[in-house]
Amino acid sequence: MELKSCSNDIVIFFLNSQTDIGPDCCHAIDIITCNYWPAMLTSLGFTVEEGNILRDYYNASSAPSLGGLTVIYQPQKDLGSFCFSSTSQFSVNKCKKSAVSKKIVSVMAPQQSERRPATTGSVKNAMTLTEKIFSRASEKPQLSPGDNVWVNVDILMTHDVCGPGSFGIFKKEFGENAKVWDREKIVIIPDHYIFTSDERANRNVDILRDFCMEQNIKYFYDIKDLGNFKANPDYKGVCHIALAQEGHCRPGEVLLGTDSHTCTAGAFGQFATGIGNTDAGFVLGTGKVLLKVPPTLRFVLDGEMPDYLLAKDLILQIIGEISVAGATYKSMEFVGTTVERLSMEERMTLCNMVVEAGGKNGVVPADGTTFKYLEDKTSLPYEPVYSDEKASFLSEYRFDISKLEPLVAKPHSPDNRALARECKDVKIDRVYIGSCTGGKTEDFLAAAKVFLASGKKVKVPTFLVPATQKVWMDVYTLPVPGSGGKTCSQIFEEAGCDTPASPSCGACLGGPKDTYARMNEPMASCLSLQVCVSTTNRNFPGRMGHKEGQIYLASPYTAAASALTGYVTDPREFLE
Amino acid sequence: MVTASSISFGANTTFTSSPIPKTKPLFIPHSLKFTTGNGRAAVTFQRAVSVIPKATSADSRATKEPTATFHGLCYVVGDNIDTDQIIPAEYLTLVPSNPDEYEKLGSYALIGLPATYTTRFIDENETKTKYKIIIAGGNFGCGSSREHAPVALGAAGCSAVVAESYARIFFRNSVATGEIYPLDSEARLCEECSTGDVVTIEIAESRLINHTTGKEYKLKPIGDLGPVIDAGGIFAYARKTGMIASRN
Repeated sequence: MELKSCSNDIVIFFLNSQTDIGPDCCHAIDIITCNYWPAMLTSLGFTVEEGNILRDYYNASSAPSLGGLTVIYQPQKDLGSFCFSSTSQFSVNKCKKSAVSKKIVSVMAPQQSERRPATTGSVKNAMTLTEKIFSRASEKPQLSPGDNVWVNVDILMTHDVCGPGSFGIFKKEFGENAKVWDREKIVIIPDHYIFTSDERANRNVDILRDFCMEQNIKYFYDIKDLGNFKANPDYKGVCHIALAQEGHCRPGEVLLGTDSHTCTAGAFGQFATGIGNTDAGFVLGTGKVLLKVPPTLRFVLDGEMPDYLLAKDLILQIIGEISVAGATYKSMEFVGTTVERLSMEERMTLCNMVVEAGGKNGVVPADGTTFKYLEDKTSLPYEPVYSDEKASFLSEYRFDISKLEPLVAKPHSPDNRALARECKDVKIDRVYIGSCTGGKTEDFLAAAKVFLASGKKVKVPTFLVPATQKVWMDVYTLPVPGSGGKTCSQIFEEAGCDTPASPSCGACLGGPKDTYARMNEPMASCLSLQVCVSTTNRNFPGRMGHKEGQIYLASPYTAAASALTGYVTDPREFLE
Repeated sequence: MVTASSISFGANTTFTSSPIPKTKPLFIPHSLKFTTGNGRAAVTFQRAVSVIPKATSADSRATKEPTATFHGLCYVVGDNIDTDQIIPAEYLTLVPSNPDEYEKLGSYALIGLPATYTTRFIDENETKTKYKIIIAGGNFGCGSSREHAPVALGAAGCSAVVAESYARIFFRNSVATGEIYPLDSEARLCEECSTGDVVTIEIAESRLINHTTGKEYKLKPIGDLGPVIDAGGIFAYARKTGMIASRN
């Protein structure tokens, strides 16, 4: 058969971007594509996409006037088959014995040995990013939202609140002498109730330690000296930030944690979600979990981000739009030009609060920003995946970010959205800047920027709780742009803020009564309830302590601005 | 909206309509073998069969026989009751797998509800609730992934929740632990029922009867969910259906 003798040439074409596909082969391809398409090509193991490229090549080469097109050809390795980006065109000059223009970027060698024929004719099941992760992790090439599948877990994280319970279940169900499924895939991060004299809280960290020693867990970010966090070289702080900073978040992987804000890691283009103790106990023993494939909601954020907005405003906008149950059991995918320009920390803020909309997970597709961040953090290989162009999304929401204004979520719900400027008459009693949502390095730099712009002192107690040791260090060492070399800590001190505290979850979720910055008193005065503007993630009754406390969720810009005036304040008061 | 039929655990599930009260002991098989994804045996062990009760004998339902119904007083709450209201964070130092702390956790169930709820879920100086059934609005259990939430409700003596809808992780934790039976209502029962009404839930008939008002309401069918809770949670279910291989 004519075609078979060409098949080597065709393979080499893909391999080298150079070929001797002569006119006879071109003609053979023509016959096939017109008359026997697609059965012949697929019977040789070429995919639909590869056939398209061949056909385009033939068409272009038989019409010499088309020689001017240039190609960006970026195959993306996906389940062993080619998957082309939507920008594929072709540049060819002549058909016979000529070099194809070498504008092809990174060609993936086709698998020579095991070629699975693509599904003939019909479009291969297009999948979203999340569906693809499920597909790979469950080793099922095809699946759909609603399917329940057993998924291999890449990383399991737990902390001091849920770790002891999870270990208890693990031992009860698998036996006192059972061993965990993989000592290198479990990351144990004490962070919730650390700097407290509560005996049970302290005991829980000891329980973590005992388990880690017994199981020889590789990653345990221990703390023993509660009086001086810096004396603990292993201690990190807030689990979700530690996971990112320590390189445990990788595109395409499955990361589970016994904490609802585990979804933060979706910023790295992976599937990350929170589970309870029982599920965690199950994973500890088996490395697997049963999950239902979620459908995906797509959020397209376009437009230039104004310099008074932060990712926190974006997610508050979205939650306000779809409500606290708007994404229940669904995946939230964030794309668009605005997202592409967000830093990793900003993407983490975005994904952090998907659970506040009920979301199962959030994802930002991995790109150059992701890869650069990961360069010095992980040496483990990873394989990003991306939503197919024809993937089905449950809904798509489009936002023109350039038109948004700073927001708050008023008590007592994260979806109780309001413009910050419309709350300017709300007198406040305190400001809290911290947590996985708003306690990262860039969050503190942002707050410092507002204090610097004002030059004045805060009017209310302003609590600063860096998320991790690294963030704390940054606050004390990084120069704030435009300040003439001052660090955040210096600016905070000049503004009269509290000294940055020991890194942990702190008062974001209340905690034991002696937790720093906890809202213990309901009343600010005999007439008014305590009001706090916070960069945290939830404001349900009692979230930060007393159930009557009033919490306004906001970005670090808005929180800093509010601290300066003593009222809920739009940061444009200082930034424009 | 999360429905009760939205979780399925395998092709060979059989629906049994007898929910097992939480005092039923968990039986651990004589031996278990697990394999990891790459085929290596992760855990193989043998142990003597032991009976581990889920609650101590202080539970007043210790002598109750398994039934297909729930009957008792109901406690009504509104929408978006989050985990901080179900069990405030300051009590999370209690470890649920520790029997004493399990009981203590129960004593704090729903203590985070604001003062607008004039009737407490658990009376002052009591550690158990007199309300067997909670009736809720939408998005019940939103917020944290803490399993302490359904565990606290179960430890307090609640048997079932009938909500308009659930938050994902809470629903999953309820099913995984087998602590409470999460049911979905068709209508907004939180507006139809009042705290203290006497209700009966018939699982097989997917029906809730409010004896105090005399009205009946349709519930969404349990579907594949029933066997998991009946078995006593995901571990027991996984063994029962052979999801976790048992040796011999």
